Amino acid sequence: MTPRTIEEATELAGRIEDQLNQVLIGQPAVTRQVMLALITGGHVLIEGVPGLGKTLLARSLARVLELDFQRIQFTPDLMPSDVTGHVLFDSQTGDFRVRKGPAFTNLLLADEINRAPAKTQAALLEVMQERQITIEGETFELDPPFVVLATQNPLDQEGTYPLPEAELDRFLFKILIDYPELEDETRMVEMVLDGSLPDSLDAEQLTRVTNAEGILALAHQAEAVILDRAIIDYILRLVRATREHPSLIQGGGPRASIALARTAKTQALLAGRDYVIPDDVKQVAPPVLRHRLRLGVDADIEGQTVESVLEQLLEQVEAPRQ
Amino acid sequence: MDLNRINARLAPRSCWQAVDFGTRLYRRWWRQGALVWLVFTALPFALLAGYGAATRSLWPMFVFWWLKPLWERPLLAFYSRALFGDYPSPWTLLRTFRSYGLNGLAAQLTWRRLSPLRGFLTGVWQLEGSKGDKVGGRISVLLRPPSQRAGTLTLTLLTLEHLMTVALIMLAMTLVPWQFNLEFSVWFQEQSRLQWAFANLAWYLVLMVTEPLYVATSFALYLNQRTWLEGWDLQLGLTRIGERRRRAGRGGAALLVLLALFSAAPHPAEAQASQPESRLKRDAAQSLLPLSTGGRSDFSRDNDAAESASTDDATPKQQALNLLASDTFMPFEERETRRLRESLRDDDNEDRSWWQDLLKKLLDRDRDNSDRDAPLSIPDAVVEGMGYLLLVVVLGVILALILQRLPGAAGRRRRGPDMPVSVAGLDTRADSLPADLNRALDEELARGDVRAALALLLRDGLITLFQRHPTPLTAGATEQDCLRAYQRLLGDEPVVAWLSDLINAWTRTAWAHRPSDRQQVNALRDRWGALRPALAGRAPS
Repeated sequence: MTPRTIEEATELAGRIEDQLNQVLIGQPAVTRQVMLALITGGHVLIEGVPGLGKTLLARSLARVLELDFQRIQFTPDLMPSDVTGHVLFDSQTGDFRVRKGPAFTNLLLADEINRAPAKTQAALLEVMQERQITIEGETFELDPPFVVLATQNPLDQEGTYPLPEAELDRFLFKILIDYPELEDETRMVEMVLDGSLPDSLDAEQLTRVTNAEGILALAHQAEAVILDRAIIDYILRLVRATREHPSLIQGGGPRASIALARTAKTQALLAGRDYVIPDDVKQVAPPVLRHRLRLGVDADIEGQTVESVLEQLLEQVEAPRQ
Repeated sequence: MDLNRINARLAPRSCWQAVDFGTRLYRRWWRQGALVWLVFTALPFALLAGYGAATRSLWPMFVFWWLKPLWERPLLAFYSRALFGDYPSPWTLLRTFRSYGLNGLAAQLTWRRLSPLRGFLTGVWQLEGSKGDKVGGRISVLLRPPSQRAGTLTLTLLTLEHLMTVALIMLAMTLVPWQFNLEFSVWFQEQSRLQWAFANLAWYLVLMVTEPLYVATSFALYLNQRTWLEGWDLQLGLTRIGERRRRAGRGGAALLVLLALFSAAPHPAEAQASQPESRLKRDAAQSLLPLSTGGRSDFSRDNDAAESASTDDATPKQQALNLLASDTFMPFEERETRRLRESLRDDDNEDRSWWQDLLKKLLDRDRDNSDRDAPLSIPDAVVEGMGYLLLVVVLGVILALILQRLPGAAGRRRRGPDMPVSVAGLDTRADSLPADLNRALDEELARGDVRAALALLLRDGLITLFQRHPTPLTAGATEQDCLRAYQRLLGDEPVVAWLSDLINAWTRTAWAHRPSDRQQVNALRDRWGALRPALAGRAPS
């Protein structure tokens, strides 16, 4: 299905979300944010404890959208060529040929990304930013859409390499995935026990809703959403406020402003509007900004968090004036 | 170590974050640190500097420098107590110096004097009270990974000390008139007594800054290392959880406890007498730091908890209970109580205000019956009467809070939150509205400015609603935030439905640049015209 109107686009996005929510129970906010990133064409960093369905989400997304899906488990000995691919000598033909890596896909799940050394992370950085891969001087364009869903574990930090700020900035969203509510978890257990939900990473039961073209059409619709000048001004004031906040030693850069504007448009589309309202910006600000901000030591000692600072800023920065 | 008075959050930090934490400690109490430094060193420095200037000898200043570990002891005593909300005066530190300043000092002034880990390890002697063979073991434990940067810190602050001294001398040089012939270039060639004294004074002033900073940062490194090794942050967290659970458990019985405190219930002194002997001994032996009692400190107590539990003759279950009841697991609860009483007892010979007398009376009822006949004691009837009075006041406050939150009681509330000057980008000051709203709306519509007409209607709606139903709104609140706030407050009242329709029309006009038609605006105005008088007639909530 390729949407032509706002109503069709909203309906299509709603159907995709419904499918995802069938397997990822109790995480509607997470599926909404992943959808936002997918349509906006941005990459997602998901932080959460193991066992909350991160891999299942990626598989389900690939199934529902009929996208190519690859998974890389990041380990300390992972090499850049394990991500991008390499040239190997074919003894039968006597020629060198390119062996494409798992990054040649639509949906790439980079599991525990911060376990790989900086060199491998940098290789992925180029892929994320340029959406192309260079192997032995030859450049290969990636088929759109290309989205990296990277995960990192907040508890198990031993033997990890913290993601550099430059790489973090490449992620459109940082999504925090938490345990489901009691009611949702009860429903999940009941569904697994009665067999209506498979007890494995099986997304085969899901219905295909659209394909890559459908996603690109949604992205196209999102680009056409009206964004008033006053709201752009609001976005800039918000991002600049992060640079001046005394508790933060690093605020959002221009890339954050752009990401906020683009994501707000997609948020408006998913809400069934062809224009952005200030609330769209407020709703997407936390996942867009949280990984781009760095808390000062003093603020950390005083018990503040990036989330609490963001909350303050959203309350203090004046809403846009028309 | 009263949890409620702790001045920082314990967490396993990197070395540099720990140093930052120490810097913050220094910044918070820099005046007190400088005062402690002055009180302990001003006189010795003056004597040594005077002698050095008279004899033009470097030895006196070298002696002062060599004695740095001695001068740092009171500073560490101050910071280690200040962190937990206790602020000993310099005079108290001077008076009690023997209790904290002598252990291990000989080693620090002789073969350990040049150790770059000096500041970091001082805690082993001064705070933990380690002696003899234990010292080596404790040091090797403290030097385990995550390794501290105490050596680097010492070298950094030593460099800083010298740089600041030279900078201070050079700054002063630039301010001295040239007639005095004080040139830095010839400083080392010939020195007058004035120059000599001045250089020493500059060094001393710099030390007044760098020494408290060095002690505070080294102490922070020491705390951090113990947090890493012994999970102090976890211990604090568990203690808080335990405290919360206890409070929750006490919630329902709080009033009964209050009542029992002031009533003729069995005297607490009797109950205390029935406590296990070991518990009483521990109570008596407890002290926050060696400073307060001359005994062993909290910093050392944790190390001994496991030993005491294992040497107990009781059953394994009893041993486990003893261990759980030991300071390793609950180091703060008993200290809080003891310190309050201890502090009052310490002040026995000093003048006390009436409330201190009362507090002491209340706290010591369970300890000392003989106080009843003392001249300063307050009769039990008065104490019990005041207890009942307090109970009545507490019950009254609780009742008032409940009544205030009952449905329909909103009108009794005198004062709500203030209306921000601007909400959703609109001027929401009441005096900014035109006197005749209908006329102003007609004028805007006649001009064809639907956006301005809707803005007027929205401003009037928000201001009127806020005056009748104050709700917390911030400058960052959007139109939807306002709508959500009133949906929460008023549910599905007609005015909320009207506000929702108005905000929909407004957002389409303002943000989608698709102005509503005049009929729609007029319909909204008519609905508001019907709702407004009813709203205005209602008592403000």
